[in-house]
Amino acid sequence: MSKYIIRRIIGLIPLLFGIILISFFLMKLAPGGPQAQFNQNPRVTEAQIDQWLKRWCLERESSPISVVREFSGWLGVYNCETESLLSEQGGLNFLPAALGGGTNGIIHGDLGLSIKAGRPVTDMIIERVPATLILTTTALIIWVTLAVILGVIAAVKRYSFFDQALTFFSYVFYSLPTFWLGLMFIYLFSVVLRIFPAQGILTPREWSHFNTPNFWIEFGERPLAAILDIGHHMVLPVTVLVLVSIAADSRFVRASMLETLNQDYVRTAKAKGLPKQRVYMKHAFRNAMLPVVTNVGLELPFLFSGAIVTETIFSWQGMGLLFITGVNDRDYFILMGLILVTSSLVVMFNLLADIAYAIVDPRIRYD
Amino acid sequence: MAVTKSVLPGGSGRPPSLDNLLEVRDLHTHFHVMDGVVRAVDGVSFAIRPGQTLGVVGESGCGKSVTALTIMRLLDMPPARIGETSEIWFEGRDLLRLSEEEMRHVRGNDIAMIFQEPMTSLNPVFTVGDQIAEAVMQHHAVKRRAAMDKAIDSLKAVGINNPERRVMQYPHELSGGMRQRVMIAMALSCDPKLIIADEPTTALDVTIQAQILELIRTVQDDTGAALMLITHDLGVVAETVHDAIVMYSGRVVETGTVEEVLLAPKHPYTEGLLSSIPSKGKRGARLNVIKGTVPNPLNMPQGCNFAPRCPYRFDACGPHDPRIEDANPPDVACWLYTAAPGHGIPPRVRPRVESEATA
Amino acid sequence: MSDPIRTVDSFDTAAVMTDSVGLPEDEFVEVNLETLNQWQLAWRRFKRHKLAMVGAGVLIVMVAVAIFGTILWPYDPTDIKAISRPGGDPPTLSPIENLFGTDFGGRSVLQLVVVGARISVAVGFFTSLIATTIGILVGATAGYFGGRVDNMLMRFVDLMLAIPFLFVILVAARFFGGGDPVVLILIFGLLSWPGLARLVRALYLSLRESEFVQAARAVGVSDARITFRHILPNAMGPIVVSSTLILANAIVLEAFVSFLNFGIRATDVSWGNALANSKGTLLTGNWWWPFFPGMILAMTVIAVNFLGDGLRDALDPRSKET
Repeated sequence: MSKYIIRRIIGLIPLLFGIILISFFLMKLAPGGPQAQFNQNPRVTEAQIDQWLKRWCLERESSPISVVREFSGWLGVYNCETESLLSEQGGLNFLPAALGGGTNGIIHGDLGLSIKAGRPVTDMIIERVPATLILTTTALIIWVTLAVILGVIAAVKRYSFFDQALTFFSYVFYSLPTFWLGLMFIYLFSVVLRIFPAQGILTPREWSHFNTPNFWIEFGERPLAAILDIGHHMVLPVTVLVLVSIAADSRFVRASMLETLNQDYVRTAKAKGLPKQRVYMKHAFRNAMLPVVTNVGLELPFLFSGAIVTETIFSWQGMGLLFITGVNDRDYFILMGLILVTSSLVVMFNLLADIAYAIVDPRIRYD
Repeated sequence: MAVTKSVLPGGSGRPPSLDNLLEVRDLHTHFHVMDGVVRAVDGVSFAIRPGQTLGVVGESGCGKSVTALTIMRLLDMPPARIGETSEIWFEGRDLLRLSEEEMRHVRGNDIAMIFQEPMTSLNPVFTVGDQIAEAVMQHHAVKRRAAMDKAIDSLKAVGINNPERRVMQYPHELSGGMRQRVMIAMALSCDPKLIIADEPTTALDVTIQAQILELIRTVQDDTGAALMLITHDLGVVAETVHDAIVMYSGRVVETGTVEEVLLAPKHPYTEGLLSSIPSKGKRGARLNVIKGTVPNPLNMPQGCNFAPRCPYRFDACGPHDPRIEDANPPDVACWLYTAAPGHGIPPRVRPRVESEATA
Repeated sequence: MSDPIRTVDSFDTAAVMTDSVGLPEDEFVEVNLETLNQWQLAWRRFKRHKLAMVGAGVLIVMVAVAIFGTILWPYDPTDIKAISRPGGDPPTLSPIENLFGTDFGGRSVLQLVVVGARISVAVGFFTSLIATTIGILVGATAGYFGGRVDNMLMRFVDLMLAIPFLFVILVAARFFGGGDPVVLILIFGLLSWPGLARLVRALYLSLRESEFVQAARAVGVSDARITFRHILPNAMGPIVVSSTLILANAIVLEAFVSFLNFGIRATDVSWGNALANSKGTLLTGNWWWPFFPGMILAMTVIAVNFLGDGLRDALDPRSKET
């Protein structure tokens, strides 16, 4: 089992490397290059642009050799100031600073500087992660649980009214554009009925921005009120995410359960005289959930994509909204940083899903 | 008996013979599908005494598996429908009129079934021991430890070495032959009175087949259980059972002891089956086949079902349908042995011999 | 009976047939049920799927609107109309153009829907075409040849699938798109194929071992021909269904990207950019502007999905749905 895990982890390294490579090239390919942002600003001189570029080992015009250098600098293997593989301290640059290495590049957690905000991208992303995670994790737990329950019931009571109703509901909601559904919910529940807020994580007049130091002071004073307020704001976006996702997943669970119910070993279980409950829950369910686990793993990238949509519509200040702001501002470092972080998270979650699968299915462990 | 929610009402009211462990009467199992009604089992009757071994022989599609599944009531009832006059008597109760709850106590416990595909008939995510113990715990009120011990004993009884170790293994760690042994062990674990084996060796290698058949024979001898062995392979039948019935197109067409059926077949279909077996003596001669194909179950011919392919057919065969129950003695369903209404029994025609070379 | 046990050594039915006292063979010929070929069977199954038929109908209407909409009701972005209230006029029955109300610029939402159909449907259709083609090529090659080719291609697919799709689309659309529908179609198409490629690869891996493939190889048919002429028709079922999903997704994607103003330029109309900027007025009560284009879009996507489901059931010989 541990061999399996280790092998999977080793397999991830080229994947992560590929992701870093792609992020880098997307940035290089962008028209005008990363320095294009400064074109908007007449007060920045050419000399200042050059200095800024040098800081990140970037060139205005790239040749094949310089691209390698730029990438190494971006990665953190090459030091832009000393222009060598050694850090200022004299050690190999890719080592941690405490061991004599450098501080630049991805390896050291340096994702660049936001051009607009002037702050390190790493800090900005970390600041936004909790907001996105609160939203997506809550939605994920709710929808997977519901999808499994609904899908299993639909499979066991095939062709019943429940099943047909679920099928119809699934088709409709699966097809609805999430952003439009969000808009309609806002109109119905915020504008007309006024029971849920339309925007944001917290009521603006009562609280500071989420995840700022001031907020945590206020949270310490009134934790319950803060949680309730956040919860109140979460209802609409989570509902939108959950509805659309249940629609897709419950059908999948149903199909998987039906397929399993047709298997020979289910027939054997019945032939042994086991009660229907036991046959369904013990024998069929566990096998049916195997593809579902894989499927949820495959859906994780869409979790982040979905976050962009909901955060935009509901002005939820998470990673998704940060991304949109970055696109608008052509803030390349933020964009590259976010792509890198979310991709890595996806890869990590897929690994967890694989491990979960191996725990449940003994056949895989002995691969 | 409590008010039962049974499969069908009615029943003939005639009690079964006390000698029989299992008595199937006039079983009709029809499937209602998009294109019509498939009469998979069309009036089958037979009986098995305690400890008796019966082979059910026939080619694919003749209804033998469906018969077994009907006895176990493992069919999905919406597409399948059982005739109202059908009865399946087992130990004094009509299985078709038991509630699902009562039937569950019969399954695995009084009647156990072994299926054809050992590769897929075991649940891949549970250990072998778990699956056997489960059956024991279900039917006999024992604790897990005792059930596991019984599982180990069952594995030993089917000839698996190292049963203590094997019991903890998963199905995919075992070979096909071993899995089938496990299936047999599972069937035995609750000491059933009747074992139904549906093509138990068809999916196995020829060398393993012999072992498994031997095992089934031994097990049956040791436990005294009755055995209903379903197969299309006449060789299997010859070695393992004492009596046989031949099925064709949903009906029983011939019954008798294995010697009678194999050495002196009466029904032209049985004869055809036997002659199509390639054997040493016929080297060089053309393989004999029974011309034609099994009739379309949605569109059965009027009269004898086998007539279109029968080399002995004559003018009684088209309009009249021979039923084995009406024959005298009731051991073959053919107008060559029982006079059809308005016809006599024709003189037996000796088939023309292709070559006069010695067999 | 003097006759000994009938011998079974020889049983020449052909000879016996002519000798037996009986009726000629024709009397016993069974009635054959009419056999339908694979496609006719599929069509029959498809027709029984009422929702799929409805979906197909709606789609035909949408395509018709897409083709003829701009011709019959030309859109002029410079034609500014007056509005009677800030945020746009609500729906009214007269003038009939205002059936869906107006946006905050006075444009008739009904016109936006009719005219926008062209780009939206085109984006969906052509994205699906491009993605399906690439997906089949990559997936078939990987699945059929296996080994290192498979390994390499699938690693690349894994990489593409690991990166959240929308992120890349937004960046690409904003920086390389320029508002041009053709470029947008290319971007969508070039980024939508990995999922389909994986599916095709899985299909090919299993079909490759089929007997008909071995038979074709034994006869000397070239690999290319086997891949496309022999295996592909057998894999069409799931592929077609996937294609419809890509189509539906592309329409929704275009809408979202244009809604954010990163997609189709403002001088053209698509369902997406018809919705752009509508969130603000929503909060002041203008529900019709985001509602109608979104609803038409949703209906189209639902129709595509019904169609896809019907196709899946029709083309899958194992499907037991009745």
